[in-house]
Amino acid sequence: MTLQLANWLFAGTAVAYLFASVIFVAELLGRAGSWAKWAPRLVAIGVPLHAAHIAVWSMVLHVCPVEGIHFALSVASMFACLVYVLARRRFQIDPVGAFVAPQALAFLLASRFVGQVADEPRLRGALLPFHVISNLLGIALFTLAFAAAVAYLLQERRLKLKTFSRVGLLPAVDSLDRAEHRFLVAGFPLLTIGILTGQIWAREVEAGGVGVMARAGLSYLSWALFGGVLLLRAAAGWRGRRAAFGTILGFGLTMVVLLAYLVRSA
Amino acid sequence: MILVVGLSHRTAPVQIRERLAAGAEALPAVLARLASREELAEAMFLSTCNRVEVIALAHGEAGIDEARRAICEELAAHGGATSGEELVPYLYEKRGDEAVRHIFRVAASLDSMVLGEPQILGQVKDAYEAAAGAGTLSGLLARCMSRAFAVAKRVRTETAIGAGSVSISSVAVDLARRIFGDLADRTVLLLGAGEMAEAAARSLVKGARALRICNRNFDRAAALASELHAAAVPWDDLGEELTSADVVVASTASSTYVVTRDLVKRAMKARKGRTLLLVDIGVPRNIDPAAHGIDNVYVFNVDDLEQEVARGMQARQAQVTAAEAIVAEELAQFLSWRRALEVAPTLVAMRTKTRALFLAELERSLGGRLRHLTEGDRLALTQMLDSAVNKLLHTPTTKLKARAAEGDDAGELAAAVRFLFDLQEAVTAEPSRTATPTRPPASASADDEPLIN
Repeated sequence: MTLQLANWLFAGTAVAYLFASVIFVAELLGRAGSWAKWAPRLVAIGVPLHAAHIAVWSMVLHVCPVEGIHFALSVASMFACLVYVLARRRFQIDPVGAFVAPQALAFLLASRFVGQVADEPRLRGALLPFHVISNLLGIALFTLAFAAAVAYLLQERRLKLKTFSRVGLLPAVDSLDRAEHRFLVAGFPLLTIGILTGQIWAREVEAGGVGVMARAGLSYLSWALFGGVLLLRAAAGWRGRRAAFGTILGFGLTMVVLLAYLVRSA
Repeated sequence: MILVVGLSHRTAPVQIRERLAAGAEALPAVLARLASREELAEAMFLSTCNRVEVIALAHGEAGIDEARRAICEELAAHGGATSGEELVPYLYEKRGDEAVRHIFRVAASLDSMVLGEPQILGQVKDAYEAAAGAGTLSGLLARCMSRAFAVAKRVRTETAIGAGSVSISSVAVDLARRIFGDLADRTVLLLGAGEMAEAAARSLVKGARALRICNRNFDRAAALASELHAAAVPWDDLGEELTSADVVVASTASSTYVVTRDLVKRAMKARKGRTLLLVDIGVPRNIDPAAHGIDNVYVFNVDDLEQEVARGMQARQAQVTAAEAIVAEELAQFLSWRRALEVAPTLVAMRTKTRALFLAELERSLGGRLRHLTEGDRLALTQMLDSAVNKLLHTPTTKLKARAAEGDDAGELAAAVRFLFDLQEAVTAEPSRTATPTRPPASASADDEPLIN
């Protein structure tokens, strides 16, 4: 019964994110028409379904959601969608969902079908909840910062090329730049906590190895990139394109780290 | 019969149009003059910067020429012409179905100088309210105008006739919104005092926090600033102003760039890279186009804006076919309703006479052989008779109304009914001016049901 419920919740979440993704992309192409307003709503519907799926699936597998990379991916994408739903009106960045929803769908599917949850090492320790949750929230916020950065670059290019016909399909560049910055500012402290707590107890979980060093190195590099973007914005006025590229690069490194964890357990 | 007589940007130059225009203060006097003309059953006066029209209801087809003559005389008197003939070369005239179609098209902005402009509907509604308030509008013409408002709303809702920007000012505002989103905390800087830049600045400042005007002639800047509730700044402070402004609109008479790339670079450094929009409406250009290559700086000149205006007009033009189809559909429905109106008095008279006959017989019986019946029984009998009258007349009523809606010889059929039932001559379907004036519907959704069921 519980397994069936988990499967239904998984299917419901996937369908909601899938339809949201399709409508968002159609909206970017100027073809969504009156369906456009449904895309953010579908993400909002997907979030509670997603949360329920995580809860039920963890009960089925007898795994705490913060103890493994698979659940971590799923939780991170759920948080990203939640923050998007809460922030979209504030920053007027509805179309950013075109990047958030597909990613949420990909993470959801990956968490279920890539690798085996049972085979991955369980994380233990008093600092574990802080480490995992802060990383997950940080990833969620960086996902949104990444989405805003990509949308910014698209919109900025259209404005620089003066292709007006497509300019109206994305939010204002200033809104995107501001949203990207706010998400980075919110996510950076969380990432810092995640890295610090990870560093403190990493030696207890795994004993050295090239893989561990590489993952840790990439994590520090992404942390440094994000920090650099924030610092250069404040000190040298690095806004717009430069900040967007920095954000995208930092997020890319974060995804490489996540992928490395995922593949390791596959 | 409805009649429209007037002139517009298509038929008369502005020198003629301005003579006939009437502002809100002059409107009551104009309406009073129209109301005093016996040839006109109802009248409305529409005056905008591109159009002056008298929309009237004549006393049937027979009175249409007299109504036209009366309108021409009143327009001539209002415009200071010696006679109506002086205006004839500039006037157009629409009668009956064509007049209704014209009214619908005007309200839907299909006849406007700028296709799809939103102001005309409000102007038509104002003219309607003025006429209704003056008591010169009621009945058929009022219903026609109500229907026009509904048509206009349908056209705007179901087509994109009003979408896109079709003026330099609106394109500039649109661009600013595409770059900044909400303009509420933005500052607009106007360089120079050219007309187009001023128009763009007026549009931009509506949603912005502040407007600052910078002109070589400070007195001119100050005069314009007081008019626009803005601040005038010295020309020498231009570099500093670029640091704080978010949107700059330039239209000076300078033959060289007043805003160079280096000036913009320095300003961007001082403003820590905050986004800057530069709109150059001047010819020759006032802003160095090379500034567009600087990060977070966007420069658009008059060619860029006019391209967007042309694109907007093209997009609107593509909606005309769909809009005209809506007008045609609504016109057919209105005319169908109008024809049904013609048979309404006959149907009312038929029903009244039939019921009166039945009730007279019932009274006779209740006073005679049925006088023993209780009050309840009498009531039941009366109700039965009403039901019988309804059932008896339902088929002829429905068929006559259907015949009227189809546009066939409903008039002849109605005359035959009056002959067969020996009814009084049908009262005219066009109510008089003394009827209570109606107000335009708040949501402009007209009721096109006939007056009787």
